[in-house]
Amino acid sequence: MIRINDLNFGYSSRHLLFKNLSMQLNAGHIYGLLGKNGAGKSSLLKNLAGLVYASSGKIEVMGHDPAKRQPSLLRQICFIPEEFYLPSVKIEAYVKTNATFYPNFDHKYFNGLLAEFEIPVSQKLVDMSYGQKKKLIIAFGLATQAQLIIMDEPTNGLDIPSKAQFRKIMAAALTDDRCIIISTHQVRDLDNLIDTVIMIDDRDIVLKASVEEITQKLCFKRVKELDNMAIYSEPSLLGYNVLLPNYDNEDSKLDIELLFNAVLSERTKIKAAFN
Amino acid sequence: MNNTFDIQRFSLLLKRKWLEFGKIYLITLAVSLGIMLISYTIAFWSIITNLETFSDNTLDFREPLFFCFGFLFITVVASTYFSHLGHKPKTITDLLIPASTFEKFMAGIFFTGIMTTVSFVVLFFLTDLVFVSKFRIAVPGETGLNSFRDAEGAVTAITNKGVYFFAPDRLNIFMPLYLVPFFVTSIFLLGSIWFNKYHYIKTTLSVMVFAGIWTAIVFKTGEILTEGRRAVNHSRPIYHAANDTMEWIITLLLLMVTVVIWTITYFRLKEKEV
Repeated sequence: MIRINDLNFGYSSRHLLFKNLSMQLNAGHIYGLLGKNGAGKSSLLKNLAGLVYASSGKIEVMGHDPAKRQPSLLRQICFIPEEFYLPSVKIEAYVKTNATFYPNFDHKYFNGLLAEFEIPVSQKLVDMSYGQKKKLIIAFGLATQAQLIIMDEPTNGLDIPSKAQFRKIMAAALTDDRCIIISTHQVRDLDNLIDTVIMIDDRDIVLKASVEEITQKLCFKRVKELDNMAIYSEPSLLGYNVLLPNYDNEDSKLDIELLFNAVLSERTKIKAAFN
Repeated sequence: MNNTFDIQRFSLLLKRKWLEFGKIYLITLAVSLGIMLISYTIAFWSIITNLETFSDNTLDFREPLFFCFGFLFITVVASTYFSHLGHKPKTITDLLIPASTFEKFMAGIFFTGIMTTVSFVVLFFLTDLVFVSKFRIAVPGETGLNSFRDAEGAVTAITNKGVYFFAPDRLNIFMPLYLVPFFVTSIFLLGSIWFNKYHYIKTTLSVMVFAGIWTAIVFKTGEILTEGRRAVNHSRPIYHAANDTMEWIITLLLLMVTVVIWTITYFRLKEKEV
């Protein structure tokens, strides 16, 4: 669905955010995009949506160049930005004027999502809270039936029940012809949701692996005492959270936060585990 | 699927744009109507209440009102059209609407170049029609008439003093004037996308600076070219003979500049990033 070849991008010619970045993303997956502040997560998402222009390299989204901003591609992209704008109208008017651009817009599904998110339909959009607005644009975006769903910090501003609803809705929204990319700092919100982890650091992709592959090669454990096998460890209340090479094919649950910190501090060892 | 222009998509875009832009537009239009009504009421008040104070100059306020206020109205509307693109979240929403850049640009031309000009003219026409018609009823007979006499004192023509602003015989004016609204709105539309803040002020200042530089260049060039020379055949009436040609040249020039500014605006919109 998405092919990126030798992408070079930066907001100034001196400082590149991505240097010769290449990657392929396929339909039927929920990708979790992780990285430090300023690593370029949002910029990568903007590149995919055609909101910024690459210095060089090629991006292909569903066979289109997103930089051309062609309507045939735009109607297949649902982009949920971190900061968004909604006009001062009611939901009905908003849907009436925007949904018509998306030929596959599912009104029934949209109303179902509104009910599930408990969004007051008679209220004006500007009078809604940030969380309610966010839930509304998520519901609208999913109802467009777009094939590519890009979300930048979608759980920011959502309360605890809404985060659980979000995970449930997103898991149900994944189909074989859809690709979902979620960028977030709140990695706990992605627990049990993403199937592939992408980590960006130092102008490149430092890790791109499925959850299955990660847990096959690495073992996430809580131990009382450290041994020298650990690739990375963090002290916790009951001892240490450790990341070990999974030599014995042990089953363990992916701890995204631990993995993220391990990749940042022990990149060479992690890479070695995957090779 | 046509990715450049589709009439159905374009009409959807106009509807959507109206939802956001319509409010600003209608407020500006309401303010314009208010100012027109106040101006006409002040000018016509004494006529309607006291017929004796009518003078031939009473209706002279209409030209400055139409041109100055019309200019202000169309430029204010044009300078707000793309101004939201200086605001990141609004830019994301706007750029991702599934319509082509050309359609988004054409919607801009429709709202700023066509709709504002037409609506202002229609509003002015209706206001003028109501007040002048009222005047014609209020000032009957000879008081409201102008009579033209020849050298022997015989009446050659009689016209009503209450002439409508858009009377057909008044519309045969300098042709390029009809293009001025498009030219002016094209500049302010470009300003609305070029600058991120204070669009109106920055555009006005830029136009003033550009006009100043341009005038200085023309003046200096003329001075250099005519240095040490003297004008001859001053009295020959060449200007009258060349009037039509000049009018056409200015019309074409204005049209060309307008199209160039629109083209720059289109590319600016196409290149817009978040």
